[in-house]
Amino acid sequence: MTRLLLRYRRTLILSSALLVSFVLMTLQVRSHSALTDQTKRILLTSVSPFLHIASVSKAAAVFVWNEYIDLRRVRRDNHLMKEEVRQLRAQVGELRETSLENYRLAHLLEMRSHAGVEAVAVKVIGKDVTNWFRTILIDRGTNAGIDRYMTVVASEGLVGRVVDVSALSARVQLMTDPESAVGCLVQRSRVTGVATGSQGGTVQIKYLPQMADVTVGDRIITSGMGGTIPKGIPLGRVIRSSRPNGALFQETEVQPLVNFSRLEEVLVLKKPPANDLAW
Amino acid sequence: MTAFLLALLGVCLLQPTLVPRLAIGGIQPDLFLVLAFALSLSVGAEMATAGGFLIGLYQDTLSGAPLGLNAFTLSLIGFLVSRLSRQLGTAQLPARFILLFLAGIVSGLITLLVLRFFQVHRPLSVSFFWTVLPAAFYTATLGVGLLAIPKLKTISGANW
Repeated sequence: MTRLLLRYRRTLILSSALLVSFVLMTLQVRSHSALTDQTKRILLTSVSPFLHIASVSKAAAVFVWNEYIDLRRVRRDNHLMKEEVRQLRAQVGELRETSLENYRLAHLLEMRSHAGVEAVAVKVIGKDVTNWFRTILIDRGTNAGIDRYMTVVASEGLVGRVVDVSALSARVQLMTDPESAVGCLVQRSRVTGVATGSQGGTVQIKYLPQMADVTVGDRIITSGMGGTIPKGIPLGRVIRSSRPNGALFQETEVQPLVNFSRLEEVLVLKKPPANDLAW
Repeated sequence: MTAFLLALLGVCLLQPTLVPRLAIGGIQPDLFLVLAFALSLSVGAEMATAGGFLIGLYQDTLSGAPLGLNAFTLSLIGFLVSRLSRQLGTAQLPARFILLFLAGIVSGLITLLVLRFFQVHRPLSVSFFWTVLPAAFYTATLGVGLLAIPKLKTISGANW
């Protein structure tokens, strides 16, 4: 028996790895098992502290690198001038960064007080590690009261919703993710549809009837249908709309208002507002 | 073993923070695949399979993928690369490039097929030509470059 196991050990190990992977996938996709959530949570918790350190180190490395470049540029100047220029540049860089951060945070705070909802401001510390999904990692988790399915917004509008949470970090599914579906409506004509992401990163509005009043430039907002995402959060603007012959629905493409490649701080809505949001 | 765990931690830190900045047209290289590939070149098929499984689990955790998707893909790739590298000989850079490029394509195709099995439909031809092929090429180019760095070469040849 032992000889047989040793002889076929490679095949056995491969089969076991494939079987376990397949069972994990089936458990998560088909039955949303707590086992897979727990496993993901443990694995995410094991790297979260290092991700935090890496995020801080990256900022420090960028700062040091910029300083090095600045120094090379003024090397030919005399010592006093070089020192003065370096100090001034460092100060300007810091002030500019502080000013930009203040501007972004002020926008978020203004939005939070304007929306009148309980929310927590968080930093983006990572992006999806595959080309198949569009998610981001944020630096707060259950310790800050963040939970699954909470809505995430930026000052421009909807970002997505929380899909995985650990104690110190959480994963947010962006509205451009191919698996994302958000109830939406055309603000001008009040026609409802479903905004879905795509492999290419664009957002399409599905289930808009052929006769629905939609034109290029129309603003799209969340409809609040489904109960998880509040009504009234801006999604984007219609950039293409066509009515193919023989099709039941229009084909409508939307440009999101949020620039997902430059997200640095976002707001997680901890409780849905009592009234519809007015952006 | 320590070298492998350190490399895995490094990839877990680099892939979500630094690698998205290297994305070209929304396509980013896959350092998890490069790590599984490097491991497979230096250990036997059993370790390559188990290592690929662990690397895949972490990749699943750091992505929106269902847990097990990349574990499935990378354990299979670990096994295949380890077996093939013994027969083909992968000391030369062009051979490594071709094998890593093929591994990228196989990884993409398996991902597409498994997603399809679980009713997560992605357009096959569009995904293949605009995601799988460019990602495989980018990963192979970067991966072979990384493996050519003398210190990394030493690590990939050392006992994991």
